[in-house]
Amino acid sequence: MTSNAFLPGLREALGAPGVAMAATFLAFGAAVQEAGLPPGWALLACWGIYGMPGQLVLVQAASAGWAGGVGIAVMGAVAVNARFLPMAVSITPVLAARNRWYLLPAVPFIAVTPWAAAMRALPAVERPDRVAWFLGFGLTSWVVAGFASLSGFFVAGALGGEARAALLFVNPLYYALLLAADLDRPAPRRAVLCGAAAASLALLLPASVALLAAGLAGGTVAFLLGRRRGAR
Amino acid sequence: MAPADLALVLTAACCLALRLAGVWLAGGLTTDHPVIAWATAVAQATLAAFVALAIVAPAGALAEVPLAARLAGLGAGVAACLVMHKRMLPALGVGLAAMLAVRSML
Repeated sequence: MTSNAFLPGLREALGAPGVAMAATFLAFGAAVQEAGLPPGWALLACWGIYGMPGQLVLVQAASAGWAGGVGIAVMGAVAVNARFLPMAVSITPVLAARNRWYLLPAVPFIAVTPWAAAMRALPAVERPDRVAWFLGFGLTSWVVAGFASLSGFFVAGALGGEARAALLFVNPLYYALLLAADLDRPAPRRAVLCGAAAASLALLLPASVALLAAGLAGGTVAFLLGRRRGAR
Repeated sequence: MAPADLALVLTAACCLALRLAGVWLAGGLTTDHPVIAWATAVAQATLAAFVALAIVAPAGALAEVPLAARLAGLGAGVAACLVMHKRMLPALGVGLAAMLAVRSML
């Protein structure tokens, strides 16, 4: 029964999420090549970290010759990927595993694209099938991301500035579309609007903590507004 | 160990720990628990802030694309998404085309 949901998850990942993922990781692979790091590093960073902002922080630190030290670079990379914590908290009850241990294989795939897709699709999936769906989606997008990184590494020289800019634009545009698709529900709408407004606050803070601070401030305000209105 | 490899191992371990901590913290909570509602709002707000910063104040090669082109791409993509009943792939194409079109005009 459970294995039946793996294929629908896989198919879902090969549509728009796969295209957005491939474009973003192609650009990442090219950036790794330019920073003078090996292709294996691009692949392992993609599969091990699996969170683009954090990956880019490390590539930028490598380009600068680790001038600020490895510790500072790691802290910056972890801080910009700190959204994994609230994402894991929010997706766990949606995955509805009978036992938390069943979730272990799914843990490495908790990242923006699988999380957003799962939060949209899983309420319509039978509860016992949800972990299998998420594994199908997560594993597929993970493999796509890895191959795209390697491809990006090897075609880096052939990419002009325009192609690079277009590839890099796909990532925020795709995330914006994911958020826009949720705007007809009150709770996500509040969170999106408060988060976008809080981004202006982030311009005043150091880049490493800016995103986390904006998310915490915007999300908390949205949550409190929702509680006051007694809405979902 | 080379600095790049050390940084990669440490970052990957910390990111895995964040995900495991989230799953462990959520414990037996249900989707309508206030902690889950708050965590979901924080995750969505973080993503919205990421998009806002990437469009308004990006770093790297994207910064070379004029702001007007980035805004046009975002506006056209979101409008297409809403008009086309949330079909992501065509909306992605419309947004990208709008960004490149405005970029070439400026």
